[in-house]
Amino acid sequence: MTYSLTDTLIRVWEMSGFANATWQQLVMILVSFVLIYLAVVKEFEPLLLLPIAFGMLLANFPMTGLLEGPLGDQPGGLLYYIYQGVELGIYPPLIFLGIGAMTDFGPLIARPSSLFLGAAAQFGIYIAFLLALAFGFAPEAAAAIGIIGGADGPTAIWLTTKLYQDLLPAIAIAAYSYMALIPMIQPPLMRLLTTQKEREVKMEQLREVSKAEKIVFPIVVATLCIFLLPSVAPLIGMLMLGNLLKESGVTDRLSNTAQNELMNIVTIFLGVSVGAKAVGENFLQLETLKVIALGLIAFAFSTVGGLLLGKLMYWLSGGKINPLIGSAGVSAVPMAARVSQVEGQKANPSNFLLMHAMGPNVAGVIGSAVAAGIFFALFG
Amino acid sequence: MSLLEGLQILVIGLGTVFLVLISLSGAVALESRIFSFLNKSKKENPAAEISTTPEKSTVVNASVGELKLIDVDERTAAMIMAIVSDESQIPLSELNFKYIKAIN
Repeated sequence: MTYSLTDTLIRVWEMSGFANATWQQLVMILVSFVLIYLAVVKEFEPLLLLPIAFGMLLANFPMTGLLEGPLGDQPGGLLYYIYQGVELGIYPPLIFLGIGAMTDFGPLIARPSSLFLGAAAQFGIYIAFLLALAFGFAPEAAAAIGIIGGADGPTAIWLTTKLYQDLLPAIAIAAYSYMALIPMIQPPLMRLLTTQKEREVKMEQLREVSKAEKIVFPIVVATLCIFLLPSVAPLIGMLMLGNLLKESGVTDRLSNTAQNELMNIVTIFLGVSVGAKAVGENFLQLETLKVIALGLIAFAFSTVGGLLLGKLMYWLSGGKINPLIGSAGVSAVPMAARVSQVEGQKANPSNFLLMHAMGPNVAGVIGSAVAAGIFFALFG
Repeated sequence: MSLLEGLQILVIGLGTVFLVLISLSGAVALESRIFSFLNKSKKENPAAEISTTPEKSTVVNASVGELKLIDVDERTAAMIMAIVSDESQIPLSELNFKYIKAIN
């Protein structure tokens, strides 16, 4: 057998990615570079955006077979197996376990009416759902798009995986990007919908919440929510388990693992898996742009919903509740609460709304999980 | 799916979210009241606290949590329960008070 240098070089070229790349793959590789830039330089949700961007990069290299399933005796590609955690709905509830272990529900327990704000701030989910239907999306796709308004990445990923996987990368990227952009999206709406007098309101200090109350809380929430809406069990169940591990005080090791090692490992797998679904042929479509536009509308209307109920509560309470805490009812913990704090302090420098806004903020996590459970019950 | 059906889902969906979270808010408020009542009765009735071991007082709190008070303040109720327990020689953990009502 003889080898010619020219033939070998031609064969190597023919088998290389350079010769086999499609224009869509090249565009997606460029998009992944932009996302890596946003994650590293602009620090837009880098913990998730960076793995997503790199997963996108890997998935769009031609000829790698990373996403292919097993064929006969041949095992599948690496990303195919990692993606099973998304496909089977395992990663998002595990992220919720970590979130639960990191969340202090004290402000919500101290003021249970925060839950109303967490419910009102799901308004954008349903407005975006309606608009998506008007744009011609199937009801399952419209529900998955709407959930972007919950401002909760794992919930959006969980529901999209269950209802309409083709939109997963667009929805995940839109959800995380808008969460990172909350400090830019929310303040103009907050100033537009509230008066200076309302923004200046100083709220009474929250009462102290006992340890026993904090221990009982996750049990009560899990029991009540799952009895009322069994489809929320994976998300609420894991969220409350994580919280119980934290609050019980007897499982510090488990709580630490849930909020650190486990959370970090799952975040890497989840990010890479979601990014890997952003293959050029599926992603570079007009639908992606529609999803991104609808996601922004969903975020905006969720903020509006929270603020309007906040105004109502301001009025009903005789001016004791600052309506700015309503916008924190979109999940995005703790970013949305910080925005309420910043805007409140701009109106009145002696104002400290952070702890007051944390109540609606964590209520929003429960609210968006409930909204996702309702969509799953309807279309799953 | 028509827009009208979508609108129905908007109303039903958002309504259900509110319903679930309002129920939750009620449950949390109830939980807080129970704990605050238990703490108050603990503070207001040191005699009952002294007369029981820490283990017993936990159980006492559980039974107090189900108690209905009719025209009786919490301090009086706590005293009555402690007296009944002392007089009957039955530990508070084994007593189950349904309600305490003032008779004029």
